[in-house]
Amino acid sequence: MNTNSHAQPLAIAGGVAALAVLPFLAGNAYLEHLLVLWMLYALLALSLNIVIGYLGELTFGHAAFVGVGAYTSAILSTQLGLPPLLGLPLAGLVAAAFGLVIGYAALRVVGPQFAILTLGFGAILFTITNHWVDLTRGPMGITDIPPMAIGPLAFDSARPTYYLVLALVLATAWLCHALVGSRTGRAFLAVRENAPLAASLGINVFHTKLMGFVAATAIAGIGGAIYAHYIRVITPDIMGVHNVAALIIVVIIGGRGTILGPILGALVYIGLLESLRVAGPLRMVIFAALLTGTVVFLPGGLVSLWQRWRNAHRSENNLPATPTGLPSTEGGAK
Amino acid sequence: MNAANAGEILAVSNLTRIFGGLTAVRDVTMTVQAGEVVGLIGPNGAGKTTLFNMLGGSLPPSSGSIRFAGTDCTGAPSHVMGQRGVSRTFQITSLFPSLTALDNVRSAAYRTTRTGWGAAILRSAAYRREEAELRRKALEILAFCDLDHRADTLADAMSYGEQRRLEIAIALAAEPRLLLLDEPAAGMNPEEGQRLVEMIRRIRARDVTVLLVEHHMRVVASVCDRLVVLDHGVKIAEGPPSQVLNDPEVIRVYLGREPVDA
Repeated sequence: MNTNSHAQPLAIAGGVAALAVLPFLAGNAYLEHLLVLWMLYALLALSLNIVIGYLGELTFGHAAFVGVGAYTSAILSTQLGLPPLLGLPLAGLVAAAFGLVIGYAALRVVGPQFAILTLGFGAILFTITNHWVDLTRGPMGITDIPPMAIGPLAFDSARPTYYLVLALVLATAWLCHALVGSRTGRAFLAVRENAPLAASLGINVFHTKLMGFVAATAIAGIGGAIYAHYIRVITPDIMGVHNVAALIIVVIIGGRGTILGPILGALVYIGLLESLRVAGPLRMVIFAALLTGTVVFLPGGLVSLWQRWRNAHRSENNLPATPTGLPSTEGGAK
Repeated sequence: MNAANAGEILAVSNLTRIFGGLTAVRDVTMTVQAGEVVGLIGPNGAGKTTLFNMLGGSLPPSSGSIRFAGTDCTGAPSHVMGQRGVSRTFQITSLFPSLTALDNVRSAAYRTTRTGWGAAILRSAAYRREEAELRRKALEILAFCDLDHRADTLADAMSYGEQRRLEIAIALAAEPRLLLLDEPAAGMNPEEGQRLVEMIRRIRARDVTVLLVEHHMRVVASVCDRLVVLDHGVKIAEGPPSQVLNDPEVIRVYLGREPVDA
């Protein structure tokens, strides 16, 4: 424990420093663009992880909230001329409002029924976006979305956008870390682990789940808005099934219920997506195989490899091992 | 009978629960005094767990009323009963399996902690104080349940006996006024049963009132001040263990049948 308490902050500081210099090592605009996508997916996966990892509920509706955020900010900036910087928090608020209404209805049930309800609500939002042409321009999408800017600093290229999203990823990672170390987050984990027992201890299961769901959708909305102002074009596809699948794959492959997992999973996803470009549509088959393989052979995701190694290492040195365990503050899901 | 007694913590009157055509609990009236250890016994299917579920709020009664600490709690949901100070354990081992023992107990302290997510994000002084206090208290409760050496072990990696003790640690972490124990000695050997008896005595010394469902007569007789006997959902006897366990009717419905059940 003693070596650990010193090693962990050092490792985190090293990791953040590496992330900060990464764009300078990338060397070209294409790689910088991939770095932005990595961070965007990391941000969205961290938000989805609140629902899948901490609350233990599977949602198929997450991409819809990303889309709500993206469209909110895109419409406000293109039609009302609102500065994108103001659109960002508004996108989070609108996505959270949708999350509140949909969560209020869908969280009455749990498990597979909840997952199916979120799939339904996601499909409804997709269909509305696709057909309400007056507002969303339908399948044509919204083009010429202005880039985000803070005063003279414009996020119109990959490198500054990377730093913006990196900052948000780090902030969200801190939010998640604070969550699992707080009374609120421990209630999340209690509800995930054993809802009847949690209730008997005074935890309102429904309110707890709703709170986590709304927080996750708010972050998803902000992520969607950044995406819209970075790519400058959005279509209803952002809410599509492939995006739903992508986010779930990222969280599961990386390691649900952890903070590093979704960030790592996003790196693997973006990396493979680009390096397998030659494989064409076969890519999705490969991802499906990866997802299945992870669920079967590595249920804790990629981060659990590190845990396994450390436990093996500890037993060599006759130190107490934490069986199968992710550190408790990470609240590892099974 | 319903006159408010100063020491009365739980008053159940005419409580009935019907499942379809089956009356699981019929017209049960009983009280528990603060500081008492009361045993609820009866043959399998007598309605003990149904009564427990109603007291814990996980099952609404069909009729009758429940008063806890002077407040009417009839039909209050589980988390409200929990907030008011009724903690329970379950017949089948029920804990937070993939959390460590320490986190099991910390999660259970929801009722007695205040600072939430926001304070944790800002690392406020109140948050840091409460977390330090919570850790100290959780370790104290683990030590109380003889589990302090297992604080960093995952709950589902523990032995059965340890898990049963961890369940009690979880219930105690909520600092309940009334603790409902559903068959705490189930599956325990005599030595573990004796350890449980000691533990229940020490729980009472913490000013927690205990109501327990139990089949182990040795445990019941040595720890309870008073017994309530149910048969087919009806209360058939009540009184000190020495008297109740010698009641011919109780022997007939329950003890007499035990060799047949076993």
